[in-house]
Amino acid sequence: MNVAAGFSFTGQEPGAIYFCMSELLSRMPTGMRYYSGAEARLRRMIETTLMSVFDGWSYEEITTPTVDYYSLFERGMGRSQAHHAFRFTDTDGRMLAIRPDVTSLVARAAATLFAERERPLRLCYAAPVFRQQPQSHAEWRRESTQIGGELLGAHTSAADMEVLAIVCEALERLDLDRDSSITLNDVDVFNGIAEQLALPAEARNEMRELIDTRNAADLECFLVPWSSAEESRSFAQLIQLSGKRNILNDARRIITNPRSQTALDRLERLWSVIESLQLTDCFEIDLGDVARLDYYTGLTFKIYVKGAGTRIGSGGRYDDLTASFGRAEAAVGFVLDLDGLTDLLMDRSHQPDLMPASMEASQPRGEKLSDLFAAARTKRARGERVLLNTNEVMP
Amino acid sequence: MTELTIAIAKGRLQAETLDLLTSAGLVFSDQALSSRRLAIEDESGRFRLIFVKPADVPVYVERGIADCGIVGRDVLLESDANLLQPLSLNLGACRIVVAAKNEAGVRQSGMLKVATKYPHIAARHFGARGVAVDLIELSGSVELAAVLGLADCIVDLVETGKTLEENDLRVVDVITESSARVVVNRASYQLKAETVSQFIKSLEKTIRRRGEP
Repeated sequence: MNVAAGFSFTGQEPGAIYFCMSELLSRMPTGMRYYSGAEARLRRMIETTLMSVFDGWSYEEITTPTVDYYSLFERGMGRSQAHHAFRFTDTDGRMLAIRPDVTSLVARAAATLFAERERPLRLCYAAPVFRQQPQSHAEWRRESTQIGGELLGAHTSAADMEVLAIVCEALERLDLDRDSSITLNDVDVFNGIAEQLALPAEARNEMRELIDTRNAADLECFLVPWSSAEESRSFAQLIQLSGKRNILNDARRIITNPRSQTALDRLERLWSVIESLQLTDCFEIDLGDVARLDYYTGLTFKIYVKGAGTRIGSGGRYDDLTASFGRAEAAVGFVLDLDGLTDLLMDRSHQPDLMPASMEASQPRGEKLSDLFAAARTKRARGERVLLNTNEVMP
Repeated sequence: MTELTIAIAKGRLQAETLDLLTSAGLVFSDQALSSRRLAIEDESGRFRLIFVKPADVPVYVERGIADCGIVGRDVLLESDANLLQPLSLNLGACRIVVAAKNEAGVRQSGMLKVATKYPHIAARHFGARGVAVDLIELSGSVELAAVLGLADCIVDLVETGKTLEENDLRVVDVITESSARVVVNRASYQLKAETVSQFIKSLEKTIRRRGEP
């Protein structure tokens, strides 16, 4: 018998051979995991539920390559994000990456493969993404599955609102809407302010960092050389709060540059629709949400659900991205984190009706192997669930 | 029902932190404070405190087990955790410094041997200056490393400077100032917005009141 290197047999009983693998084979790389049993079933049900929501809004499924050129992701996500990808070289020496992001791949397909198609394009996907470095300590996974949708070729508030409505419906279907908070912002609120203060690139990044961590005291000090003390103070307070329409009113009193004003107008239009749909409980306006700004050009949002310590999804408008692939057009989209949702719903005692009780299995019988399988196939043809006894030695 | 779980750094900051929370209106029974329990509730039952090692505060908060935490900036700089830092408290003020027996030891070119409990902060500091370092990670009595020649210099926290002085070490460079910070989990900040902002405001008021002569 040929024993592969690294395996050593220690057990002797027939039919139950125990072997211990070398540590290298039994150990999992960090950030990777298996799913099985109830967890795997729940995960599949969540995926099916969310994909049916996309189908309901006429989004067409797209399957993207798992491996593509690194330069594509670098253009799409920006270097600081793309360099987290697993990378290796192709036979011709060009750098490849295992997909760290799906949006870049969809944007490229829209600009090339679907260039002639009628607009707007509505595309959705469920696909794993990979990162060599996890995003943070709490987001420890290096493989995570994104379920997302992209609406390309429409720059209207209707397009923004469509995406938000889909997020709402997805959360409703998972029975999470009452425990959710979707925070809205528009990157041009920040961009307008940075422009008005004429901040050099480095100072701009520092300001963004201070806003992102809600460090109001340091932000106020930071702003002093750039604006009046009173303005600095009220702006520092503004980014500490999230709220409803009142945030927009407060912001208008403090922020007067035209670019930010236009962004606030856009947010206000969305908010009016959210109010008329009576969805205000699910939404917050949060002008302090400024992370990953370079990717987005307008609306941005993050999705938080009670019970999860990190966000469960995010999205926004990225009108410049497709230009990198030769065809500039408006686009908006979002992703939900399937792994995060699975953890969350597993933890909840009231698992929604996502998991129908599986059918009782029946055991087909037969004297001979051929009879057994004939019986099994008959039962299967009637749609019954079968469980074969494969331990018996049969003629 | 507990509305907010707050992680408190044990040790250096613990007494001052509890004092601040009490001034801000949280009431803890003497029985709870003197017990050895690692999690206690305030009298109103709205707040739960958990006591953990300083380096574990960002871990509990980042993963959302605690909504908020109070911890030194030194710990945050070292951990690189993805957290909100809405409030700086003037508690536990200290400095993170490079210290050595004499300046010459640190000015030499080539490879510098640095002993520290803060490998990330040390690596960033010397990295920005283009100095190659051999980082020696220790878990305590770091001063000894420089005294006995295990390292050319140390990177450590200094409050009064007394320990350095008694061991004939001097501060060569101040890397940064540190004091206690309030940190908040990103999800809690949104999902418990009202409770979190009330808590922060009450702390802010308390430190401002204390700051007045």
